[in-house]
Amino acid sequence: MDLVLDSAPVPSDYFGVLWALAGVKNALVLEHGATGTAFYNAVSFGVMNKQSPKGIIFTTGLDEDDVVMGREDKIIQAARELDELYRPEIISLVATAVTSVIGLDLYGLIAELQSEVKAKLLAFPGGGFRGDYTRGIKEVFRVLVDEVVTGPAERNDRAVNIIGPTIDSFNHPSDFAEIKRLLGLLNLEVNTVFTSSTDVTQIKNLLAAALNIVTRDIGLEVAGLLEERFGMPYHYGLPFGLKGSIAWLEQVAQKLGLTVQQKAVAAELNKYGYTLAELTSWWQRHEQLRIVISCPYDYALGLTRFIREEWGLEAAVVTLPAAPENPKAEEIFTALDVSKVLIAPEAEEFKAAMAEMKPHIIFGNTYDFQLAPEAPIQIHAAIPAYDYINLYDGTPFVGFRGSLYLTQILINSLNKRREVLQF
Amino acid sequence: MLLMRLSEITKNTVLSQTACAQYPGSHCAFFGVAGMVPLIKNSYALLLGPAICLYNAKLTINLRALTSDPRPDNLLLLSFFQEDIIFGAHEKVKRAVIEADSKYQPEVLFVVTTCTQEIIGEDFDAAIEEIRPEVRAQLLVIHTDNFTCEDAAPGIERTFFALADLMQLQAVEEKSVNLLGLRMPGGRKTEPVRLLESKGINIKNVIPSYSTPAEIARAPGARLNIVLEHYALPLAEKMKESFGTEYIYCERPYALDSVELWYRQIAGALHIDLSREIAGLKKKTEENVLQLKDRFAGKTFALGIQQGRSFDLARFLVTLGMKPVLLYLNRILPDEDKDIQALLSTGVDPLVVKSGNTLQSDKLLAELKPDYYIGHGDRRVLARLGIEARNLMFTYYTPGFAGTQQVLGLLCRAPAGSEVLHYKEQIIKNAEGM
Repeated sequence: MDLVLDSAPVPSDYFGVLWALAGVKNALVLEHGATGTAFYNAVSFGVMNKQSPKGIIFTTGLDEDDVVMGREDKIIQAARELDELYRPEIISLVATAVTSVIGLDLYGLIAELQSEVKAKLLAFPGGGFRGDYTRGIKEVFRVLVDEVVTGPAERNDRAVNIIGPTIDSFNHPSDFAEIKRLLGLLNLEVNTVFTSSTDVTQIKNLLAAALNIVTRDIGLEVAGLLEERFGMPYHYGLPFGLKGSIAWLEQVAQKLGLTVQQKAVAAELNKYGYTLAELTSWWQRHEQLRIVISCPYDYALGLTRFIREEWGLEAAVVTLPAAPENPKAEEIFTALDVSKVLIAPEAEEFKAAMAEMKPHIIFGNTYDFQLAPEAPIQIHAAIPAYDYINLYDGTPFVGFRGSLYLTQILINSLNKRREVLQF
Repeated sequence: MLLMRLSEITKNTVLSQTACAQYPGSHCAFFGVAGMVPLIKNSYALLLGPAICLYNAKLTINLRALTSDPRPDNLLLLSFFQEDIIFGAHEKVKRAVIEADSKYQPEVLFVVTTCTQEIIGEDFDAAIEEIRPEVRAQLLVIHTDNFTCEDAAPGIERTFFALADLMQLQAVEEKSVNLLGLRMPGGRKTEPVRLLESKGINIKNVIPSYSTPAEIARAPGARLNIVLEHYALPLAEKMKESFGTEYIYCERPYALDSVELWYRQIAGALHIDLSREIAGLKKKTEENVLQLKDRFAGKTFALGIQQGRSFDLARFLVTLGMKPVLLYLNRILPDEDKDIQALLSTGVDPLVVKSGNTLQSDKLLAELKPDYYIGHGDRRVLARLGIEARNLMFTYYTPGFAGTQQVLGLLCRAPAGSEVLHYKEQIIKNAEGM
């Protein structure tokens, strides 16, 4: 039975749609549902670094008559009003559970309404019943590429797109700042982030970049589409750790026919390359540490590799909130000595796994910590993180600075919970 | 935007939405239920619905845990998927109820629906009736068909109302009362409780205020119900009908004369004399008012949604020398037309607008530029507009003259960090204006 107390359900495709759209300026979201649904989103946005749907998401305030009669006039009037009042470039009509159940035809509605409004109308009819949030994000990515990205543009050989971050991406301010800094080492600039912190014009101009850098597996589908349709190459992966960052820089450089300056890398290593070995004493033993990673796939993979290959420790359990795109994900983790991989586990399953292995360290979300309260070291590394903000952009997990930041967190946490290292 | 003057409002006025596309709109009944059920001890609530509602409900109660008034998380979630909509979910719900009963052993298990179940019209009550004999917990079903509701009020009312099913006929104790409508901890430590107890009145129950189901069961043993907020009126009516418990309705006042009358109404119903105590408390509060009059004289304010008698609160602020320019409103409470007339009689006639549309509200505030915004405002926007933000929500915890004192305290002190917020927003505003 899927009864949940100390946890929350995996967010549905409805949330994914909102999260992927919310980062696009001058694109408004009009959800058709009871106002309570929209009001509640102030909460779900607020727990992600105090973001707000204000000025982005609007509700039609559907009522009993609309439900009984299947009336469309509220959504039509509201779309017209948004078009006139705010002059957005895009209005996305998003179904809620109620709209989905009554079966309102959003595509038919757009066919009727599009000629009357200046904004481009897009429809997202899932209403939260199609799957988890990754499905909603992918749907938005696909629709934006199909409907908004305009044809071939003059390419800037020194510009790249970052595909994958959406407003739900944990630690995005810091990770993005670090990725941008790494790209600066190659003298590259960011054309747009698809779809966090972007706008409609930047999305239209997606093709002006020379390369797409995919940071989340949910961006692979559109990266593939862009390659197929427009010949845009892409690189997939996050730069975790010192070795990981150098490899990432080399791979990006290689895709663009560039060379990584070894002096620049050496300067980075001199400044940020402190390793666990040089920051701890001979009296400290770490190999017994039991570590759990509970994050979306790309973060989980990056952290697992970093822990295995650079800290020289083992991530014993990896938990993913949603099924990854890669069908061989489990094998990949197993090859990194992960003994157990849980994909979208029920709360009870996760709890049982934690009770069995008794981890010293969990990288995860706040609900993971609630389910394993006895774990002495709990490091926020995923959403929902309702008790944690990370707006400051100097706490990256990725890149050279991320390597140092994570190592610093580990050492400080162990010093605070010193019983973890004691015999 | 649909604006009215207060003088145009009657008790039958239905305020229209200020726009077709709103943000954020208003809370829903489900939100009201999910926020109130944690206030019943030894209870759990089984929330049935799509991830949209359940995810947000869980985050909301967990965020509440970080506040000065944390509430226990007793929300059990049962997600509904497409197949549940198509094939029905009776069996799933029955299994969940049985599991919740055996695993958590609550004395009371609320079963709460959302819009989805209400639209498909599955008869959950029948399913619950079927398994009632199998479970130890008392089962209380609360329906929330949010598309029929203007705000969270029906959810709170239905939760109060559902508690009647826990009650049992009792021998009535003289000089005993229930206070209905304190949705907070420490209900027994409030000023009215202290005053009534000093006169030998037994406060049998403060509902909900973390009452146990056993305490609620004994509520009909009280001679009188004192209804402190309108949400509890359906419960009071039900108790009158089922157990003959009389009630008086006395929504929370703020103005000094109103608080005095409020206490007199309660004292009259209980045949006790509180004159000396009321006079003492009133005098003390009047002294505080006098001390602050210079500070607030001539200041204008906009008043957001407030618990209790908001027009009475506005009139109290007028006695401080302040002037209302804008009042936000969702609904007019029973008997509130008297407060409206009393406010108008002070010579003010502020604009009134329906709440729930913040972008429009920001524009209006930019035009009206009140000195203070009192309520759940967007602090950044208010600072940009040079408006002082205040929130009086904590007055809810201190009914009586203590509440009025609390108003004064909260008005005087800006929330932590406000000064620098204004400082930086003004710099940004000036730079953007260049």
